[in-house]
Amino acid sequence: MASLDTNDVLVARKAYNAGLVQDVSKERAYWFPALVLALLLLLPVLQFTGNYNYLIHLVLFTASYVVMASGWNILGGFTGYISLGHNVFFAVGGYFAGMIFARYGISTIILAPFAGLVAGLLGYLVGQITLRVRGPSFIISSLALVMIFRILFENWDFVGGAAGVSLKANDLPVQWAKLPYYYAFVIMAAFSVWAAYRIKHSKFGLGLRAISKDEIKAESAGINTRFYKTLAFAISAFFVGMAGAVWGEYLTYIRPNIFLIILVSVNMVLICILGGKGTIAGPVIGAVLLVAFNEFFVATLGASEINILATGLIMMLCLMFFPLGIVGTLARLRKLPRILNWD
Amino acid sequence: MAEVIQILILGMALGGVYALMGSGLSLVFGVMRIVNLAHPVLIMAGAYVAYWAARLYGLDPLLTLPIAAIILAATGVILYKLVFEREARSAKYSEMTVLLTFALAMVLEGALGTAFTNTQRVTSPDYATDAFFIGDIFIPKGQLYAGIVSLAIISALALFLKYSRFGYAIRATTQNREAAELLGVNVNFVGLVSFAIGIGLAGAAGSLVSFVFSFFPAKHWEWIAVLMSLVVLGGMGSIFGTVLASFILAVIAAFIGAYFGATWSTLTFFVALFVVLLVRPQGIFGEKPELA
Repeated sequence: MASLDTNDVLVARKAYNAGLVQDVSKERAYWFPALVLALLLLLPVLQFTGNYNYLIHLVLFTASYVVMASGWNILGGFTGYISLGHNVFFAVGGYFAGMIFARYGISTIILAPFAGLVAGLLGYLVGQITLRVRGPSFIISSLALVMIFRILFENWDFVGGAAGVSLKANDLPVQWAKLPYYYAFVIMAAFSVWAAYRIKHSKFGLGLRAISKDEIKAESAGINTRFYKTLAFAISAFFVGMAGAVWGEYLTYIRPNIFLIILVSVNMVLICILGGKGTIAGPVIGAVLLVAFNEFFVATLGASEINILATGLIMMLCLMFFPLGIVGTLARLRKLPRILNWD
Repeated sequence: MAEVIQILILGMALGGVYALMGSGLSLVFGVMRIVNLAHPVLIMAGAYVAYWAARLYGLDPLLTLPIAAIILAATGVILYKLVFEREARSAKYSEMTVLLTFALAMVLEGALGTAFTNTQRVTSPDYATDAFFIGDIFIPKGQLYAGIVSLAIISALALFLKYSRFGYAIRATTQNREAAELLGVNVNFVGLVSFAIGIGLAGAAGSLVSFVFSFFPAKHWEWIAVLMSLVVLGGMGSIFGTVLASFILAVIAAFIGAYFGATWSTLTFFVALFVVLLVRPQGIFGEKPELA
């Protein structure tokens, strides 16, 4: 009987792993996200044939939620720290870019990355404090954060207090007025999905997933959990802040009761839960569904109170019956279509 | 000096009301390990029971208090059976239930808002706008009565928990669920009853709140952070701690409100919540660092 050499085992193992990786990438349908992106970039051509502003608005709205939810997913999905206060960073990004735009006329689309950095820095600082606690305590602290920022912004005269600040609308003809923001959001959405993919497949992302499974074991395996999760918080705040920056100019005003209402942060959470927490395609699918639901409820039922009720109800049903979300549930049943397997 | 005493009295009176608002939350957390973010909106529901009883039948909110408590306790039983019982075996139980109660809070807010609109409401029995005068110091009757009733209810609850056989079972379950189950406590039934009592307390608190604060469905978000700060400072699950924390924070808030303006007095609770979570997450009387 031939004895097994340890080295042979290791070589065989490496070859096997490489084979697995190759199998996965052979199965991966790279063309699908690329096709979707190309179609979205070409969509405004429709404007030559008539008025499709509403369609443009819907795609833009969805893309903005893709940016925010993908950002939230890095902390809430990969790392397992559920934040109900991420609209704070949406507001900080929006106010930072909005105020500079109002004073110096620099477009928020150019300012967006910087607004994201400011939000990310704030996220890093907040994370230093709140990430000391986990589970329910972390969720509660994130809610308190929203309340604190709401009071601060409503009483800060420099940014207009509760009335906020009006921003100048751009002077493009109506047909093209939405397009700068449209492209900004579509490109940001593509970037955030790509970044989430890269993070998930990096050593950093592996560390984050280890933290979400068992933080103590991750720590003892040599992961600097404190730094990892704070950095995850900062990165997720970066994306949310970037979305906030352009959103303010698109709406033409910044106001606490637009940015700092609980529904904004709930939507981020709901999108990820609906689509699948911790997956790459989840936030995209969730955002499409959420915007569709939203339009349906607003169109058929009108009132915003019903909207809150319906959002809450969908979230409850999801949590009770599909806690893994659409992508997660399908993946577990091994029925996830190849075109949606972006992980 | 009179001014300081005046502020102290106003703070203490509000503290009594907060204590009842927070104690149900604390009880539910202690027994069930559920951080019930829907508690404030259930208090709101209790306030609406009192409001409509007063408006349609001219009933005094203090008289409708037991009715509100019973209606809400029944709601609690239904919610428990529908939602929380099936979550008991979930792996990430505490996080899942926080999100669930959060979603539930939205559902209830939407339902209340649809049914009763977001107009500010308040019940106005005669005593709500009346006051006792002792020299220069005035004590608003409404807040005083509310505070007294609230402390009476909490004392009754404390006696029930301390001396009745069932209260014994509830405390045992709070301390150690597995051990209590091993000793023959039906922990599921204990959970159901404590959940019902906790939500019933929300109903009782609601009828007191109905003449102390003006309310509308969307206001419960503000109460969430206020109540959470009480429960977290007092130590999750400790009812005595919650009562103590209510008085401490209400008095601090009253002083900040008197010297810096009403806006900043609300901020007291939010900042306190933040600081307590960071400095001593288990609160004054909590011994359960597992939550941190």
